[in-house]
Amino acid sequence: MKSIVISSVVTALLVLTGCSDKDPVVDETTSKVKNVAQESDGKSVTEVDPIQEEMVENQNSIVSSNSGDMSSIENEFSSVFFDFDKFSLDSDNKTKVSTGASLANSSAKAFTVKLEGNCDEWGSDEYNFALGLKRANAVKKALVAEGVDANRVTMVSYGESNPTCSDKTKDCWAQNRRVDFKLLP
Amino acid sequence: MAVTIIFASDATIEVIKKVDSLPSLAVEDSSSDNDETFKMKFFKSIISDLTVISLFNVDRHYRKVNFEADEVNVANKDMNYVVRYRLTNNDNGALGIELKMLSNNEITFSKNYKIRNPKMYMFVSHTIAYDINKFMGKPSVEWMKRKVIFSRVTSPKKSELVIADYTLSYQHTIVKGGFNVFPKWANKEQTAFYYTALDAKRPTLKHVNIKTGKTKNIKSSDGMMICSDVSLDGNKLLLTMAPNGQPDIYMYDSKTKKTKRITKYGGIDVGAQFMDKETIVFISDRMGYPNIFSKKLGYSSVEQMVYYGKSNSACSTHGSYIVYKSRESSNSFSGNTFNLHLISTETDFIRRLTAVGVNEFPRFSVDGDAIIFIKNYKQQSSIGIIRLNYNKNYLFPLKYGKVQSMDW
Repeated sequence: MKSIVISSVVTALLVLTGCSDKDPVVDETTSKVKNVAQESDGKSVTEVDPIQEEMVENQNSIVSSNSGDMSSIENEFSSVFFDFDKFSLDSDNKTKVSTGASLANSSAKAFTVKLEGNCDEWGSDEYNFALGLKRANAVKKALVAEGVDANRVTMVSYGESNPTCSDKTKDCWAQNRRVDFKLLP
Repeated sequence: MAVTIIFASDATIEVIKKVDSLPSLAVEDSSSDNDETFKMKFFKSIISDLTVISLFNVDRHYRKVNFEADEVNVANKDMNYVVRYRLTNNDNGALGIELKMLSNNEITFSKNYKIRNPKMYMFVSHTIAYDINKFMGKPSVEWMKRKVIFSRVTSPKKSELVIADYTLSYQHTIVKGGFNVFPKWANKEQTAFYYTALDAKRPTLKHVNIKTGKTKNIKSSDGMMICSDVSLDGNKLLLTMAPNGQPDIYMYDSKTKKTKRITKYGGIDVGAQFMDKETIVFISDRMGYPNIFSKKLGYSSVEQMVYYGKSNSACSTHGSYIVYKSRESSNSFSGNTFNLHLISTETDFIRRLTAVGVNEFPRFSVDGDAIIFIKNYKQQSSIGIIRLNYNKNYLFPLKYGKVQSMDW
């Protein structure tokens, strides 16, 4: 079924985008314009064929830690929160990371730890993604310092695209400046 | 006489003087067999496009007249120009548009158009404005016919990639499902694009050929993997990667498949853009806050480009010009203001392009004639077009969804 969908999509794309190279396309078959004192070109009808119609593909769902055991262990980790425009760990965060390191080296020992860096909405560009990553990296360094094998830790930044709160308040923005712990098989 | 603003050859310098007012132009609809809602949509679209070319003082009144009438509507008799059109529904479902432009009741320009899918009527409207601009002998507004690609976050960790016209009024979802961000056109012809897939274990850069529908993986990196810019010939990509948790700029050669690290600073280096074959500009926090720097490829030294603004976290380049986003407040307790500014590497002048709200995602048109951006102000998001040489900003209200990233 999937192959049928993809092949029909590709066929549609070939048909529909074939003309866009020569955009606009002139259809010579229609009648000439009358009573034209001055014309921009000698052609009668300009066909505008701007864009393909079909979707390219569907993506698989996000790789997530959804198995029962893994998920319950994952819930024991606490997210780490950051100040505005900052990626340093305060003492409260260090405690959370210590707890996370203990979990990573005990009940979560069989899994890879995925650190997901997140930001508030004040910056919606690459820099914000980098800020989220620096937050994840600060947590990773602290985990490694507590004895977690660096090869067991992966990182990703979601910038401002993974908010847990969407209100326009100070408290809400603070909830979004965080690093989440996820587990991967 | 009216006061308008024109610019010298340096677009960062504003030269203000009095000139004659723009010629007046009205639009007349001669359509009969289309529904009223569609007729008004088309009318509004053509009014917007004729306004954006910045050559006319466009009258916004909707007036009807017979297409074959020798004289313009009496209310338009004092107009310098009248654009008259007739929409027709073809048997095969296509939309036909007959168009003529009159001046002193004489036809000065005429052309017929056709589009197979009437829902894409705005592309005809853009093409009409393009043709009239060309007929008036003005520099090309080719960018009106180009497509915008953007990512839209639909829910946390879910997004879709959308291709649209420059006003974003026509939107076609090209990649749906998953968490895909930072789309970037792969070539001038806009027949392929790159994007970052965040679904996999590691962020992965993908390439989609729109003509064949074929998708291929280009490269993965732990932490970050973003295509920030593509060279004019499409062969070189500036990437932001973070293989060791350290965001730096890399160059990828799409022919040899080789990647070279360009920056090695211990903080944040992101968002690189080509200025020319030897020089890039990029965003770095090496001053303690995000700012714009330039670097000659092959050399270690960097040069600070902007000495204004507390936080300059995104930019776009065209020739010696850089448009950048600057945060003009630093507030974690309420809304912040982000404005766009224009500088030239050849002068010390700064031109502020926006005044209020959150203005972001600036992108130069391919020819440098216009800048597209997103404005968020008072609960309303809009797509903005800045005509640099005419000192005009135009806003089109945006449909649903928050734009994550955009390329033109």
